[in-house]
Amino acid sequence: MWQGIGASDGYGVGTVIKIVEADLSFSDTQVEDIKAEQTRFQLALECFTTKTKAMAEQMRQRVGEKEAEILEGHVIMASDPALSDGILSQIADGICAERALWNTCDLFIQVFSATDDELTKQRVTDVEDIRTRLLKILLDKEDVDISNVPKGTVLVARDLTPSMTVGICKENVAGILTEVGGKTSHSAILARALEVPAVLSIPEIASQLKDGDVIALDGFTGEVFAPSPEQKAEFLKKQEAFLTEKEGLKNLVGKPSVTADGKQVELVCNIGAPKDVKAVLEQDGEGVGLFRTEFLFMGKTSVPTEEEQFAAYKEVAERLQGKPVIIRTLDVGGDKEIPYLNLPKEDNPFLGYRAIRVCLQQKEMYHAQLRALVRASAFGDVRIMVPMVASIEELRQVKAMVEEIKLELDQEGIAYNKDIPVGIMVETPAAAMMADVLAKEAAFFSIGTNDLTQYTMTVDRGNAQVAYLYSTYNPAVLRMIAHIISSAKQAGTPVGMCGEAAADPNLIPLWIAYGLDEYSVGATSVLRTRSILSKWTTEEANALAVKVAGLATTAEVEAALTEARK
Amino acid sequence: MVVETVKVVNEQGLHMRPAGVLSKAAAKYGCDVTLKVGEKEINAKSIMMIIGGCIKCGADVEIICNGEQEEDALSEIKALFASGFGE
Repeated sequence: MWQGIGASDGYGVGTVIKIVEADLSFSDTQVEDIKAEQTRFQLALECFTTKTKAMAEQMRQRVGEKEAEILEGHVIMASDPALSDGILSQIADGICAERALWNTCDLFIQVFSATDDELTKQRVTDVEDIRTRLLKILLDKEDVDISNVPKGTVLVARDLTPSMTVGICKENVAGILTEVGGKTSHSAILARALEVPAVLSIPEIASQLKDGDVIALDGFTGEVFAPSPEQKAEFLKKQEAFLTEKEGLKNLVGKPSVTADGKQVELVCNIGAPKDVKAVLEQDGEGVGLFRTEFLFMGKTSVPTEEEQFAAYKEVAERLQGKPVIIRTLDVGGDKEIPYLNLPKEDNPFLGYRAIRVCLQQKEMYHAQLRALVRASAFGDVRIMVPMVASIEELRQVKAMVEEIKLELDQEGIAYNKDIPVGIMVETPAAAMMADVLAKEAAFFSIGTNDLTQYTMTVDRGNAQVAYLYSTYNPAVLRMIAHIISSAKQAGTPVGMCGEAAADPNLIPLWIAYGLDEYSVGATSVLRTRSILSKWTTEEANALAVKVAGLATTAEVEAALTEARK
Repeated sequence: MVVETVKVVNEQGLHMRPAGVLSKAAAKYGCDVTLKVGEKEINAKSIMMIIGGCIKCGADVEIICNGEQEEDALSEIKALFASGFGE
């Protein structure tokens, strides 16, 4: 049994075919005709460029844009003046083209390997791949052809390069095993794009296996082993179930999010930056339920300007094309530090100066953020969400600031949505107990289960000695959530949830029973959450909620929910 | 010679894709384009040098253009940095 890095999901089992690279050894020769040797290299480089561009095009059609870009990057790297100048000047010293190529690439490999940056280190494989392909052209060797491997093949290679992958027939490849690479290496990206299970980074695996060996690999855990016939059958079954589920989820794209008895809910996403919108749209999220704005403030030396913030909020609002976008105002403090705000060190940061408490004292900074948000409301369904509310005065102060900003914008003739909703995160026990009162003045609620669990159980989840108490399955937390939702319902205020618990398959039936209106989850959980919602009727969910309501401990709740899980 | 300091906004720094866009843009101009990061000086026309320079998110980069069309080169490259190289 071997342990590697699981880099592409799925269970692969099949017969090993090793990808053996052509022999690229060469002998050093003293160059007589320098011009001719330089031309020989330049012709090889032209041939490389033509071939690689063609491969990139093939990759774009068969696999994807991102994968094609890797190959286009190779074209740019190979035609880099620093590389070709180095090679040509070595040839001018009488060194043959092969050796000059080898040495010059080595130089860059050394520079890249010596850095402390993971991404730069990964570029070593690109330089090696470029060198190998250029050498093949110079030595007139064939490319490895893996387009004709039989069905049920597990490919074993030192590394899976983009040029190898182009010709791959993914239906016939059951798995990929390599000696190098990691979760973000090209080989991992390619394997995921091909949807072939892959385990990377098992040293010397190629020399320990031979063609014809039967091998099993778990792309989730990174385990690789020689399976017994029973294990092989089990793996094939698991892979089939995995593919069926994946296919089933794909079929849910474009479908409404409804329970089995047809009750529709809203299924939206949590994002941390405008670039995350892409995943939301790809995974069919119905909007944004939590846009964390901290990214705008982190990694900077001063507070971002209103214009900078406006550009980011507007971009998200426009790309969501009228779907709801709930933007949470700055949630700093606790474990999130922003050096230039000079927040003092505290003994109890989670109970101290954080989130809305900071914003209401740093009015100038908060005014700029609120103004950027109100202005962005002219470009989509922007809603403002206030974090960490512990008393209704905080909400009232924010709403008063928003009203002032509206007057300013009227005077300046700047457009905005006059009805821009201002809602709150319900994540403190104080807000939960006062939910009926808050619901009358907040446009919406969003339950932040992570902080609510922490504050309800009075436990720092980073503290290993007490972390066992931190569980959203705890009956106290569940009662708190049930109370928040029913208070919101009575007031007719929409209520959502944006903590991790919103996507927990065990808890979803409880949320159905409590009457949650909106689920805000990570983009990759959208389709799975939609699938789970579709399996439960309100009646079944209610029955489970009644059962759970009578339980006394976290363990009892967890056991009951796990047993009922669909 | 024209000089201006900019900040890297790309989350993963100047990795392969932005480095490719940058080197392509710099190569269009006749002037020398140098990036100064701390003590390091990097030829912006070379994708390999940019990658090897490990320029990370938040880094201050001095763009130095010297020679033909230096103003145009500086303004294009400055804009590329600000846009996160289209990422």
